[in-house]
Amino acid sequence: MKNDSTLLRLRRANPYPLPATVDDPALLARITAGPPDSRLRIRPTPRRRRGLVLALSLAVMVLLASTAYALSTWVFPSFVKPEVTALEYRRAQRELPLPPGYSWPVLHFAQNSVTGKGAGGGHAVLISQNAWECYWVDAIRKDDRAAQRQARRHLEALLAHNMIVAPRGAPEDWRPASPPNRPYAVWAYDGGLAWVRGTYELAAAGDSRRLAQSCRANSPR
Amino acid sequence: MTLEADRLSAEERFRTVFAHLGAVSQFARRRGSKDADALAAEVMTIAWRRLADVPADDPVPWLYGTARNLVLAEARLSAQAKGSSIREPDQVAAAPEPSELDPQLSQALRSLSRLDREALLLIAWEDLTPGQAARVLGINAGAFRVRLLRARRRLRARLERPAADDRPPAALTQLDVEGT
Repeated sequence: MKNDSTLLRLRRANPYPLPATVDDPALLARITAGPPDSRLRIRPTPRRRRGLVLALSLAVMVLLASTAYALSTWVFPSFVKPEVTALEYRRAQRELPLPPGYSWPVLHFAQNSVTGKGAGGGHAVLISQNAWECYWVDAIRKDDRAAQRQARRHLEALLAHNMIVAPRGAPEDWRPASPPNRPYAVWAYDGGLAWVRGTYELAAAGDSRRLAQSCRANSPR
Repeated sequence: MTLEADRLSAEERFRTVFAHLGAVSQFARRRGSKDADALAAEVMTIAWRRLADVPADDPVPWLYGTARNLVLAEARLSAQAKGSSIREPDQVAAAPEPSELDPQLSQALRSLSRLDREALLLIAWEDLTPGQAARVLGINAGAFRVRLLRARRRLRARLERPAADDRPPAALTQLDVEGT
């Protein structure tokens, strides 16, 4: 049918040929700033719900049967000692890649301090993010397209899998009730993560000023 | 956490829909929209709000169908503002006249019913498959194929034996604002 001469003639009369992909990050950001379709919310399936009920029942039984020590450990689990934070940081390094030529900085945690659980992984996520941003900026300067794509891919993966936005009005030390089994950084509900996302969109569209600024401002070096 | 995961998942999915912004804008332009870019932005806003309705595997027919409805609404408003009906294609707000328009082809298209024209233009100008075009019009693929076959035959016949119609050719972009 595509070779039909009538259709071919009609195709040639097309006043506006099919366009190349149009990217409008500002419009995308404006649209997605609104609430998404509520029907897309992930609802537990009946089977998953049964599993949840079973798991909750077990958790309650374990709680009731546990000792005071165990209870105190579970009730106040949100702060950990510096050794734990350092261990989280080291473990996260195995899961988060750094760009070629970058290395993990040594972080020092004061011995008389406590830190929110998971913060070691959060440090690693932000260090990895900054490293990839700087790598991207460098790749743009060198006009290395492959490296630019690689950097963006890694940053998008970090945004998708390792960054969580706290709910509106959440306290500063908020952490998810069920933390993911991977390093994660928590962002305040203030549009910061959307700004970061917009920065990457702009950089991908050829405007790398915000990306370079972020690299400079957040670099540990 | 779940709400945020929902949002991230929705945004990820919406990006694939948003990638068709340029195509929707061109579709609106071809259908004679006065502000095709704004109309395409509105289509995308609706798609974000009703993302559950947008087929994840092939969003284009849904987007074009929505754009088509908006173009029709725009044309109706424009006609009301002028105190006339949009049933007369020539009274629709002016759309850019393609300079390369072949008058004979335009005349032949004008002589077809709007349903036939719509079927042909969705295939020839929007480069849709018959299945996709059927979804734009909200009919089943079999019915669309029959309509397209007849439309092609009629157009070919008109081109081979031009009708004795002296009316000047209208812009092709204005031909389909009447709706089905």
